[in-house]
Amino acid sequence: MREFSPGRKAMSFAGIILGLVSLITGLAMAISGSGNTMRGTLLVAGVVLLIAGVYLFPTLKHHRTIINVLFLFPLLFAFAVTVIIPLVLGIGYSFTNWDGIRVKGFVGLENYIRMFRQPGFIWSILITFLFVIFNMVLVNVVAFLLALLCTSKIKGLGFFRASYFLPNLIGGIVLGYIWQFVFSNVVTKFTEALAGNRYSMLSETRTAFIAIVVVYVWQYAGYIMLIYITGLNTIPGDVLEASSIDGADKLQTLFQIKIPMIAPTVTICTFLTLTSAFKQFDVNLALTNGTGSVASFFGNYLTNGTEMLALNIYSTAVINNEYALGEAKAVLFFIILAAVSIIQVRISNKKEVEL
Amino acid sequence: MKKKLLSIILAGTMAIALTACGGAQAAGTDAGASNSGDASAEVRLLNGKPEIDAQLQELAKTYKEETGNTLTVETIGGDTNAADELKKMYQADNMPDIFVIEANQAATWDGMLADLAGEEWTNKTGFELTDKSMGTIGFPYTVEATALGYNADVLKKAGIDPATLTSPAAYKEVFETLDSKKDELGITAVLGWCAEPANLGWSSGTHVFAQYLDAGLKADDTTYLDLLNDGGKIDEKRMHDFAEFVGMMNQYSDPALLVDGTYDQQVAGFKEGKYAFITQGNWCVTSPDDVNFECGFAPYAFEDGINTIIAGPPSYWVAYSKGNVAGAKAFFNWCAGSVAQDILVNEAGLVSPFDDCKFEAVNPFYKSMKSYIDSGNYSGWHTMLKKDGLQNVTCQVFADYAQGKLDADSFTSTMAQVIQSYYAN
Repeated sequence: MREFSPGRKAMSFAGIILGLVSLITGLAMAISGSGNTMRGTLLVAGVVLLIAGVYLFPTLKHHRTIINVLFLFPLLFAFAVTVIIPLVLGIGYSFTNWDGIRVKGFVGLENYIRMFRQPGFIWSILITFLFVIFNMVLVNVVAFLLALLCTSKIKGLGFFRASYFLPNLIGGIVLGYIWQFVFSNVVTKFTEALAGNRYSMLSETRTAFIAIVVVYVWQYAGYIMLIYITGLNTIPGDVLEASSIDGADKLQTLFQIKIPMIAPTVTICTFLTLTSAFKQFDVNLALTNGTGSVASFFGNYLTNGTEMLALNIYSTAVINNEYALGEAKAVLFFIILAAVSIIQVRISNKKEVEL
Repeated sequence: MKKKLLSIILAGTMAIALTACGGAQAAGTDAGASNSGDASAEVRLLNGKPEIDAQLQELAKTYKEETGNTLTVETIGGDTNAADELKKMYQADNMPDIFVIEANQAATWDGMLADLAGEEWTNKTGFELTDKSMGTIGFPYTVEATALGYNADVLKKAGIDPATLTSPAAYKEVFETLDSKKDELGITAVLGWCAEPANLGWSSGTHVFAQYLDAGLKADDTTYLDLLNDGGKIDEKRMHDFAEFVGMMNQYSDPALLVDGTYDQQVAGFKEGKYAFITQGNWCVTSPDDVNFECGFAPYAFEDGINTIIAGPPSYWVAYSKGNVAGAKAFFNWCAGSVAQDILVNEAGLVSPFDDCKFEAVNPFYKSMKSYIDSGNYSGWHTMLKKDGLQNVTCQVFADYAQGKLDADSFTSTMAQVIQSYYAN
């Protein structure tokens, strides 16, 4: 077995010790609010020395593990800073009365109890589920039909594909304002002539909900269509050829060959539509800002008829200045989303095997 | 081994170079913090009105020329909420020395705002923001007013004296007269009132609702605000009278605007002379070039004898107590003076809150506003002290009333229920 040179050992230990000292000094300076301008340099130099020291650590047994950890470190660090730490802090804040500036005290489960006492919040949960169901079905059906159209032999395929995909490139907020104009100025002309209703679809909760669904399908179907097109193109030509020789008609080919063959694509698409519909925010904000009345919901008159969960959380925290309550709602949102996604993927995987 | 050593040295040098760049910036910030008592050090001001950004930059330039002090103006606005942005700045330890707040946000910054009592400018205005625990905290940089704006030329042509508009009966008569003479007067509708909740909720839920809270009261009278903040209670009789008046507004407003119009449509309609009245404030017409008629304000007289408009600063500049307080105080004193007021009044189109300001605002509503303020017939902006976010709840009730889903009775009871429920939860 190869011995490590004393020089390497010394460098490794020196690196680790110096790195740690430098890192801790830098951190201490930053935390204590010291004005010393070398604190950043000390911190970074500490990290570099520490990494170098660990890399040179005289071990054969653990060398591979050390390398793995070192290479994964940038990714894990970024993931921790942007996801894990905010998640932990968020859960922590949900048990306090944080107002976005200071934590004035711990309140235990009060925020969680309060949110379920708000009829408006329960309503938001319900219509979010409704919205998700509508969208999961509609986006997938529309996208699949568009994909069938775009894989057929019609002329100008490239143009159609591009046009269907284009709405997805427009940001949700811009899209919301464009459609708001359409609903308030164009659609009203038709509704007035046909039904005598001169008010915009957006002024009534039910029709405003339909409007959001329409805009969302319009925006998202093109994107899902692309995934379906890719799926449909991966079906081997010989399978289709064999089925046509066997005398399968178009419908049979579709239901018994194409759909079962693209089952994994269906899984991906339903998963994508499910999670993105749950997180619906921008179109909701720009189109209706959650407005719309509900005359009686458990005996309450609600004023947030079209407010989905994400928008409700945003309004609670930012508009109503109840950051801790918003955090509590966000924690629930996370749990719901995680649970639903896991269930959905399990079911789809099972179905894929059956198909 | 040499290669490795070289790469480590290179990485180290890069890191030092990078942090050295950051270090210079950090040094600047720290210098500002350590000089917190120095009037000549840089002062950062966070402005919440993007429309006057250019004028404030000019103000900063003049301040530098006149006093040698540096003022840096940072503007936030449009769809970005200044209060929310400030929280991010606080968390990032990047607080400006002066920032904008609305009156009800003072509690959020409890203990962090400098007491400006005794400063020279406080003797020249009655509009400063005071707080029980923190003292005089807000510098008023403008005064805004809201009431029923009118087109004086149209009223004159119809033979109506706006001074008589101090009772619901008078309004009814005037609205009927104007409605019957629409073609003759060249107007589309009597009133430009829009109850659309998604984008104009602030107008109905905060400004029009403000009339229920304050119309007819003295500027320091908070009777209905106190009732509201006591668990969301309302005075049913007053709310019902208010509802009847809003019902009349719904009836005589432009139907194309009432339910799903926009702010731009509303203001453009008034500027073009399509409406005799508008339910906005002095901000909707800021330049004399915008209109070719005289403008004025009439009170929301939903009860007999109401003769006040709502006037005061809708927001204030405050000094962050851990920032450059001396610098902020020096700037406020200078800002209340003649040179700064010249820029704010004549170029930014603001209305000065200072008694000794000799500049007349160019705002077409100014004359009318001033006559109400001079005679003491103005109420406070107490609507800014209601619970955060209440406007998003009440605006929907206005919208349903405008659509005809509610009548005056159900408007009153629904208002009572939604407000109480909002305060309870």
